[in-house]
Amino acid sequence: MVRFCLLATALCFINYGNAQEGDCFPSEWFKSLSMSVKISKAGFHRDLEYSVQWSKTHHDVQALLVQKLPSGVYMDEYQLETLRRDTGLEVLLDSKVDLEAPEYLSSGFTALVFLSGKHEVVVPVHGRYHRPSDSSTRVKVDIESPRLLLRSDQCLTVSPGVDHVVVDAPCTVSNHSICSWIEILDLKSNGGVSLEIPVGDSSMTVTVCVVTVLTTVLSCFYLLTNIWKHGSF
Amino acid sequence: MDARLCVMFIAALLIRLVLLCFGVYQDQNLQLKYTDVDYHVFTDASRFITQGQSPYNRSTFRYTPALALILTPNVLLSAHFGKLLFVACDLLSALLLFRLLVLRGASRSSACVCCGLWLFNPLPIGVSTRGNAESLLAVLVLSTLLCLESRRRTSAALLFGLSVHMKIYPFTYALPIALSLAGTPSRGRGPVRNLLRCFSKDLLRFAAVSGSVFFGLNAVFYYVYGWDFLQESYLYHLTRRDIRHNFSPYFYMLYVTAERHWSGALALVCFLPQLLLLSLSSLAFRSDLPFCCFIHTAVFVSFNKVCTSQYFLWYLCLLPLVLPRLTLSLRRGLGLLLLWFVGQALWLSPAYYLEFEDPQRPSKRKQTDRHIYCLVEALMTAVLELKSAEWEQTCLMNIIYTSEGFV
Repeated sequence: MVRFCLLATALCFINYGNAQEGDCFPSEWFKSLSMSVKISKAGFHRDLEYSVQWSKTHHDVQALLVQKLPSGVYMDEYQLETLRRDTGLEVLLDSKVDLEAPEYLSSGFTALVFLSGKHEVVVPVHGRYHRPSDSSTRVKVDIESPRLLLRSDQCLTVSPGVDHVVVDAPCTVSNHSICSWIEILDLKSNGGVSLEIPVGDSSMTVTVCVVTVLTTVLSCFYLLTNIWKHGSF
Repeated sequence: MDARLCVMFIAALLIRLVLLCFGVYQDQNLQLKYTDVDYHVFTDASRFITQGQSPYNRSTFRYTPALALILTPNVLLSAHFGKLLFVACDLLSALLLFRLLVLRGASRSSACVCCGLWLFNPLPIGVSTRGNAESLLAVLVLSTLLCLESRRRTSAALLFGLSVHMKIYPFTYALPIALSLAGTPSRGRGPVRNLLRCFSKDLLRFAAVSGSVFFGLNAVFYYVYGWDFLQESYLYHLTRRDIRHNFSPYFYMLYVTAERHWSGALALVCFLPQLLLLSLSSLAFRSDLPFCCFIHTAVFVSFNKVCTSQYFLWYLCLLPLVLPRLTLSLRRGLGLLLLWFVGQALWLSPAYYLEFEDPQRPSKRKQTDRHIYCLVEALMTAVLELKSAEWEQTCLMNIIYTSEGFV
């Protein structure tokens, strides 16, 4: 009888312990999780406004947005460094991004945006010059929705009902170590954003060349005749 | 130095210090920063040097390592050291201008007025307080001219070698300097003998000293930083074809022809007006070196394939030198100045809309809109070129040389 009671108590404790661990990311909590992306400002210099919402839990939640960006835009690592010092914005770029190259000589890259307890973050992004087109005055650059990665310092288990995958990524923006993050696969989000960038008119190439060269040659000739007239040789 | 000049310098210093303080406040509190991006590039490059690395680890640092070395106190002492240095160089340029003007025969009062045009001109004030290094080069160019004018040729050669090392454009002054130092050919001697006479002792010594300074500095920095130094300091500027919006009349043409195979030949064709004008103006005005340098720089900047607002300072620092000998009427001068501002406004307003506002809204007459836009661009190029040609033509037409010196 005593042995039976001891076994029952032990089983109760084990069950309770399991229930605690299972509560790290429960499936009800995921129903409260949502993400939205917006693009603001106009012209070549835009702001990507991310907002990730979740309900309160008894442990901390670290969120990381993995944003893949096409060759049509770029982020300035030096501007991000200044913003990190001034406002605490934490963005890590996966490769060296050329600040001056046009779109057709650049490649896409990935930006890791660490939310660090914040629910909203604004990241500046800049458009690159695209090649001129003879059919439209603008070109559309699509930025896909970012992937959301979550982790907690205290625990890492997820309810079995949630569709997720475990991913390795830097723990913090200093990129000293790699941690395991959880990527939620069927996340509620409002889709990707896009921006429109003006492009030149390639159907007018010959006209532009002729007018530019003619103007400069005529100005040059005008100046040469005046120099010849008034100079002392 | 008289009291009036002292008062002018103190007032100019106070204005710059006030703007520096305002700049610090604006950087800390407003989203639009006062300090130029270039200043941060210099500081980052200096930081790399203090850590024992190459300054070229900082992308878009396209200057000599000497500049990053000079600005290491930005990292070691205070972030504002560089701006204070540029402000000091600004004031030093004004002092050099005054000395040069007096040496060339201007009265002290007209020299004061011309200095005032530099000391209280918003463009140099803004450029120095925002952290651009143009005033450093203005000091080097003006001191070269001052040394040449006072016949201290070795010092002039030293300073000339240093200024060409800092930025490439003073190299164009080599031809007028060479022509002013060359011996005069005389009748009765053969062409070969005359040619050899042109290479006077002064000229050869000047070439030797400035050449050794230039190549010596280059050798040291090449040994320390390798190919990166040559590529970023010189080759980038020589082959630079910026397709992004800038003041050059060629920028749009270079943008639309960027991927064509004949764009290289086109770039070479665009180089010809610069070459012709520089050569002919050197020959025509070699007797007045500052004026020749002014025309050189104005031509170089106007016909260059890339032109940003800092480039205007390159000829602006020589304008006060040239002004006393111009018999341009005040009305004509102000009219030309107005034309310059109109050109700037015409160029900058579409640039602002391109960079910061939404492109044209879609309309049914898309084709017409596009053609109109292109025609406007072409017209603006024409206006800009005609305006600069008119300005230079008027300056040239009104130069009067008198043996006494001044009108």
